[in-house]
This record gives sequence, structure tokens and C-alpha cells, in this order.
Amino acid sequence: MRYVRAEDRPPNGDAPPGGHVDPSPMLGTWFATDKQSAGVVKLELAERDGAFVVRAFGAGSPEPVDWGEVPAIAYAKSVMSEEGMAVSATYDFGFLESLLAAYSKGGILVLDTFNTFKDGSGRSAYFSREFFHR
Amino acid sequence: MISRLSDRLPDRTTPIDPSPLLGEWLNYDVATRNISRLTLAQRGDDIVLHINGVPDVDWGETIALPFALTVDGGEAVAFKAAYGFDFVNIAVLAYLNKRLLVVDAYSTFHDGSGRSSYFVRDHFYLR
Repeated sequence: MRYVRAEDRPPNGDAPPGGHVDPSPMLGTWFATDKQSAGVVKLELAERDGAFVVRAFGAGSPEPVDWGEVPAIAYAKSVMSEEGMAVSATYDFGFLESLLAAYSKGGILVLDTFNTFKDGSGRSAYFSREFFHR
Repeated sequence: MISRLSDRLPDRTTPIDPSPLLGEWLNYDVATRNISRLTLAQRGDDIVLHINGVPDVDWGETIALPFALTVDGGEAVAFKAAYGFDFVNIAVLAYLNKRLLVVDAYSTFHDGSGRSSYFVRDHFYLR
């Protein structure tokens, strides 16, 4: 079995679980802990027809901006675990690409966003880190 | 156009300065089973990432994209990069926290081995 670090190898030669990571521990609606956030204010993580999806809402005035639903990938804590504890998804708005990457720990979801503008507006690529509760 | 208020166009922007990210970064955890060290270097207009996995696996080089804290630009506080091996894809996502580099690796296997996609985090200091 090929690897690029020890973490890629199942311990003791055990058989891997099959490759499916169950996102259910992360499913639900998550709200930003910072009610004055100018970034992402709400995340909906759901399963739709067997597919894991995310729907994000950005801070807006007078209403949050609905980013719509995109496919998401669930991650476990090891190659042998099937329990989802992290998620990634990409939004391509045309003028902007946002990579969302989050992990859950102790009832909190920690979201990092990596944002790159493609519209020649001169806006800098920027990073954000935000915290969410259900 | 904006997707959230933090996207709003500023009065003035500054190019991203990647220098806070550059150098050789070593893992605090000498018993890590993930990444032992990484190097970020400027080569022309590119930021080049070089990773070594444990035990002594050279991942080679890939381009890293730096990120500032706001649309105004300025000093880099984070980067993202991707490694595409023929059995696993790894997104390397990192940010600086008081000179500590926090590196998250999001790995997805596509070799039919049955291994789960997984997330792992490590912390690095500048040599």
C-alpha cells in the first residue's frame, strides 16, 4: 500500500474500512459565534440523495447572502476511521473562488476560508478563520 | 461584487508580502507520523513549497498561494497548496498564529485501497 507519510498506513497491516466517511456527526445548521461577523454567518451541512453537501451564507445587508449548495468532502481523523470530523468544499462565484475547510471539535466547528479574486478588481487574496456552534 | 461584507473593495490595496511565510519550518512534534518539515521559498513570482513526510519521504515541490488577512493585502498570514500523487490527493492549508505555523492536511485516496479520507494537523516553528 503506497504512502507519503506513516499516517497513510493502516496500523498492524489491518484492512482499511472501505473508504466511506460518515458525515453525520457534522450534519446540521451551524451559526457563527461572532454575531458581528463580516464573513460566513451560517453553514448548513446535509446529506442529499446520499451525497454530502454544504450551503453557506455570507454576511450581507439587509439579509445574509445565500451561496447555494455545493458538494462537500468528509474527512475522518485517520485512514481507519469512518467518523467524519472535517469537511472541505469549494465555491466558484465567477469573480471569486472560496475554499472552505473546517473541522469539528468539542461541539465547535472551526472554519478556514481561502479566498481568491478572479475579477481584476485588485482585491487581495485573503484568509479567514471563524467559529460556529449548532 | 461580493459574497460577504469582508469582500468589499477597499480604498487602497497592497500586494501580498509572503516574507512571514518563507523559510524552513520544523514540526514541534518529533514523534509526528505526518510532515516532519517544510520549506517555503520565493522563486521569481512564485512561492514554492517543499514537504518531507515521515519517515523521510520527499514529496517534492509544488506552488503555494499566499493569503493576507483582508482584501487590503499586506503581510501573508496563510497559504494553500496541493499535492497530487497517483494514489492520494492532499490539500495543504496553513496559517500563521504568532509565529507558529499551523498546517492542516486534507487527504483523499483514489487508489481503491479503502482508506478513509482524513484530516491531520501539525504545528511548526521557523528554524
